[in-house]
Amino acid sequence: MIEATGLTKRYGSKTAVDGVSFTVRPGIVTGFLGPNGAGKSTTMRLIVGLDRPSAGTVTVNGRSYASLHAPLHEVGVLLDAKAVHTGRSALNHLLALAATHGIPRRRVDEVIGLTGLESVASKRVGGFSLGMGQRLGIAAALLGDPATLILDEPVNGLDPEGVIWVRNLAKFLAGEGRTVFLSSHLMSEMAQTADHIIVLGRGRVIADSPVADIIAMAKGNSVTVRTPDAARFATLLGERRATVTNSEPNKLSVTGLDAAQIGELAAGAGVVLHELSPVAASLEDAYLALTQDEVEYHAGGAAPTLEGVAR
Amino acid sequence: MTATTTPTFVPERRGLTFGGILNSEFIKLRTLRSTLWCYAIIVVITLGLGFVLATSYSSNTTLPGYSQQAIWLLASTVGVAFGQLVIAVLGALVITGEYGTGMIRSTLTAVPKRIPALTAKALVFGVVTFLIAFVAVVLTAVVIAPILPSRGVQPDFGDSKVWLALVGAAVALALVGVLSLSIGAIIRNSAGGIAISLGLLLVLPTIISIFAAVTRLTWVGNVQQFLPNSAAGRMYSYVSNSTAVATDGSFVLEPWQAVLVLVGWVAVFFALAAVLLKRRDA
Repeated sequence: MIEATGLTKRYGSKTAVDGVSFTVRPGIVTGFLGPNGAGKSTTMRLIVGLDRPSAGTVTVNGRSYASLHAPLHEVGVLLDAKAVHTGRSALNHLLALAATHGIPRRRVDEVIGLTGLESVASKRVGGFSLGMGQRLGIAAALLGDPATLILDEPVNGLDPEGVIWVRNLAKFLAGEGRTVFLSSHLMSEMAQTADHIIVLGRGRVIADSPVADIIAMAKGNSVTVRTPDAARFATLLGERRATVTNSEPNKLSVTGLDAAQIGELAAGAGVVLHELSPVAASLEDAYLALTQDEVEYHAGGAAPTLEGVAR
Repeated sequence: MTATTTPTFVPERRGLTFGGILNSEFIKLRTLRSTLWCYAIIVVITLGLGFVLATSYSSNTTLPGYSQQAIWLLASTVGVAFGQLVIAVLGALVITGEYGTGMIRSTLTAVPKRIPALTAKALVFGVVTFLIAFVAVVLTAVVIAPILPSRGVQPDFGDSKVWLALVGAAVALALVGVLSLSIGAIIRNSAGGIAISLGLLLVLPTIISIFAAVTRLTWVGNVQQFLPNSAAGRMYSYVSNSTAVATDGSFVLEPWQAVLVLVGWVAVFFALAAVLLKRRDA
């Protein structure tokens, strides 16, 4: 259980996290979603006490992280894959961390096996690829067999097989009753892993709901209409207070009326329809709708696409 | 919250202990190449310079016993002045290397109270440096002992003042190393930490001695005595019973005073490093 109350972090005049309050519950995977610069990483750093909050509090299992008796057993954290001395081998890095809590060597070997690092464990971390660094970071997070896992962008740099592995691992650990808190800027990733999503934009929580509710929060479902009489029908729809966008000739995208209402309107006016299909908003659309005003760095001033946000 | 365990593993939840943190810092210190290189350089320089000095020394007159002992000690510890610079570099790297690579975030999430991590790091580094430096100077004293009699110097292993000075040399290197580690913890950048440490040990004394030579002011020379490198140097010099008392107002620190001066330097910088570590974002 992670509880944040009015959590705020300012760096000079810039407010990275702005009065954030949320609860991350055990037993489910909670996704932490937001565009780059939204304050996800800062929030995670605040949780584990690396940064000091400007205001507000955050606790893990009811206590501040620094006051925990066995931090590595309570919380496993992957903040970024680069939190490792590049001149040390992966094995020695893990042994050094394990030593602080008296974690035995066999557990170190176990997490090395679990993350598939056997073949590179004795190599210096400086030569690691992004994916191997990420696996080492996850191994370090798992070292204390912690009740709470905090993983910042865990799938960054992983190959598809690694991505699926992290996904399953997160679900498995949550299934054991642990608290699992993952961040990502990729909605599609979250959609496949998380049960509950907290969306952050410009340092504020803009949504905190189960995945299904996030989808429902999208701008609304639309209906695609194809008709040779597009101009006249658009006017008719406008009179019924529907929002109509005309993306290509003879094709209208209608929101505000459902398919049945549009069909009845067409029949009444004698308009021939070639297509009438409801379009459900995807999680992607929901995310974009939620964050489009919150994106810190737009790609060249264009509307934020997921790719634009991701890169 | 109910923490369940994986079927394969029942953790021994002994928790965070200072002993564990010491063990962790010892693992960290001995698993980096820079550590091995710096310690190897210290041993080689101490042995090498001692050997060169011993083989190049010759005296036509018969020296008093205490002078013979002083020459033996000088040859055994002549490399320590260079060792100070090497250990200053290593001391800074031990902590700034963690900031440079991001390792510090792993360290501080494992030890979130922070001060125990810094204390353990300084303690482990200080003790290991003491042991290696002590081995280096004693080894040098033993190696050059058979060379010296043919050159008019009869080393006396029963002289406790020599042993005290050899211990002093090792303590001096350990304290200079911890001083530099504290500076590194304050600066948090390898280049900056090393520059400031070497500036304090090498550049500042040079500037002050030039100033003292030009102005011929006694107090400037006295101030020099309180700089870390001078205090460290006094800790391994041979103190004979016939020390002449200066009449011009200048003075020389007794070895025990030199220890206090150097400990004072370390205490001030370590305290500042600890306060900043606790207060700053990592």
